[in-house]
Amino acid sequence: MVNFICWLLVYQKHQRKKNILVLFVGFFSTFLIFFTFSQESQMSLQDLRNDTTSFDPTVTHDDFLNQLLSGLQPTVSWSDISAAGAGDGQNKPTLPWDVDHFDDHSAFLSSKLRQHQITAAGASNTLKSLQLPRDFASAGDTALFQNDVIDGSFFNGFAGSLTSGQIQQFRNLSAQNFGAPGATAVSQVQTASATAGGGGGGTPSQPRQRVRARRGQATDPHSIAERLRRERIAERMKALQELVPNTNKTDKASMLDDIIDYVKFLQLQVKVLSMSRLRGAAGATVAAKGGDGGGPASSLNNDTTTVTENQVVKLMEEDMGSAMQYLQGKGLCLMPISLATTISTARCHPSGSRINHPFGGGPCSPNMSVLTVQSANGVCVKDSP
Amino acid sequence: MHNSSQLKNEFIKRWVQGLHLYCSSKKEMNLLERKKKIKLSADIALASARNSATCWSKAIISKAKKDEGNTNLVNNLSRLESKLMYAHKKVTCHKRIRSKKILMRSCGVGKKMKPRHGSNLPTCVAKRLVKKRTQVLKRLVPGGESMDEYSIIKEALDYMLSLRVQVDVMKNLVNATTNLN
Repeated sequence: MVNFICWLLVYQKHQRKKNILVLFVGFFSTFLIFFTFSQESQMSLQDLRNDTTSFDPTVTHDDFLNQLLSGLQPTVSWSDISAAGAGDGQNKPTLPWDVDHFDDHSAFLSSKLRQHQITAAGASNTLKSLQLPRDFASAGDTALFQNDVIDGSFFNGFAGSLTSGQIQQFRNLSAQNFGAPGATAVSQVQTASATAGGGGGGTPSQPRQRVRARRGQATDPHSIAERLRRERIAERMKALQELVPNTNKTDKASMLDDIIDYVKFLQLQVKVLSMSRLRGAAGATVAAKGGDGGGPASSLNNDTTTVTENQVVKLMEEDMGSAMQYLQGKGLCLMPISLATTISTARCHPSGSRINHPFGGGPCSPNMSVLTVQSANGVCVKDSP
Repeated sequence: MHNSSQLKNEFIKRWVQGLHLYCSSKKEMNLLERKKKIKLSADIALASARNSATCWSKAIISKAKKDEGNTNLVNNLSRLESKLMYAHKKVTCHKRIRSKKILMRSCGVGKKMKPRHGSNLPTCVAKRLVKKRTQVLKRLVPGGESMDEYSIIKEALDYMLSLRVQVDVMKNLVNATTNLN
C-alpha cells in the first residue's frame, strides 16, 4: 500500500504529458471515486487523497459515497496521479493490470486513465464539463451509479475533442477493462462527429459498473432525438426509393438526384399531355433535358424548355419539315412515341424496335426525360446524347 | 395503393368540371393558351383532389388564386375551404419556418465546432451534396421553400404520387380521344 504510493510518485516524475490540466478536480475526484466503486476496489481512496498510508479495505461503498458527497477537496497529488497514470498508459504497451484481480493497482490505473482521458477532453470542452457538476449534484446516491448516463453525456460531449493519442490509450484500456462495450465505444468515439450524433437511446447497463454506452444506446436526449430524426428520414428515403422506378441507389445524395429527375420528368409529362389534348395541328412536343443524368442539374432550365417548346409548336403548325430542322439544329431528334414510352417505363430499350433515328442507347430511367406527346404524326422529341 | 384509384376518380371529376367551365366560355384560344388552361385546370383539380391535406396542394391553390383570372375556376373547383384558411395556413407555415431558422441560427453560434483533423471531411462533403440537392427539390415541389429538410421529403413523396396519378389519367384521356378520332 505504501509502496504503491511511492510507485505512483515515481511515475509522477516520469510523466511525459505536460498538457494534463488541473481542472474541475472537484467533480473529477468524485468521478474517480465513483469509478473505483465500479471496479469494486477495496482501496480507501479518501485515505489516499489525504496522503495517508493506511488503507481500509473493509470500508463499504455507501460510507464512501456519503463521505465523497459531503464535499471533497482533492489535492494536487490526485491530478499528479492521473498524470502518472497517463504516463503509465503511454509507456507500457502491455497493460500491467488485470481486471479480474481487482487489486488496488489495477483500479487506480484504470481510474487514472479514465480521468486522464476525461481531463484532456474536458479541457477543450468546458461546456460539457460544467454540466457534470450539475449532474452530480442533482443525482442522488443511487443515481450516481448510473454510470452510463454520465458516460453517455461525457462521451457525447468529448468524442469530438479526443485526440488520436488518447483514443489509442483509451483503446488499450478499454480492451482490457470493458471488453465489447469499450470496443464499440471506441469505434463510436472514432466515428462520432462533434455533435452527439454518435449515440442513441437505450437501456443503461447494470448499476455499479461504469460501462460506456454502446453505439446506439446512449441515453442523452439530444442524441436520441437526433437518432430518431435520422431514422425517420431514412425510412422516408426508402419509401421514395420504391416509388422512383429503376433506381438501385442507396446513397442519400444519388437517391435525391433520382427523385429530382423523376419529379421533373413527371412535371414535364403533365405539361406535354396537357398540350396533346388539343385538337388541331400536330399535337405538341417537348424538349427533353440533358439525357446524361450526371450533371448536377438540368442544363435546360424551365425557361429554355418552354421557349423551345413554343417555337417547335409554332413551326409544327406551319410545316413539319421546318419543325424537324429546327429541332435538329438544337441537337434534338424525333422518335416514335410508343418507343419513347417503352423506353421510359422499361428497364432496357428494345433492341429490335424500329428506330427512326439513332439515339445511341441512352439510359432507360427517368433520367432520360423523354417527353412524348401523341400527335397526329406520332412524333416526339428526344435529346440525342 | 388503395387511395390512388380514389384519387384518380376525384381528379377526373374535378378536371372535367374545370374543362367544362372553359368550354362553356365562347372565347377562341390559340394553342398555347389552351394548353395553359388545360394544365392549370388539371393542376388545380389534382391539388383540390387532395383536399389540401398537403402543403404542396395548398401552395398550388393559393398561387392560382393570386391570379385574378382564375378565381372562377379555383372557387368552383376547390369549394372546400375558405380563403381565410388558406392564407392563415400559408402564413403560419412561413412563420414557423422563419422562427425555426432564427432559433437554429442562435443555437448554431454556441455550438460552432471546428472540423476535426479531416476525419469529418467526407461527412461534410456528403452533407453539402445532400443539402444542395434538397434545395433543388425544394424549388421543384410547389410550396417547398418554406419547409425544412425533413418535411420536404414527405411532401415530395406525396407530390410524386399525385403527379403520377395525374399523368396516368391524362394519358388515358389522350389515348381515348385519339382513338375516338
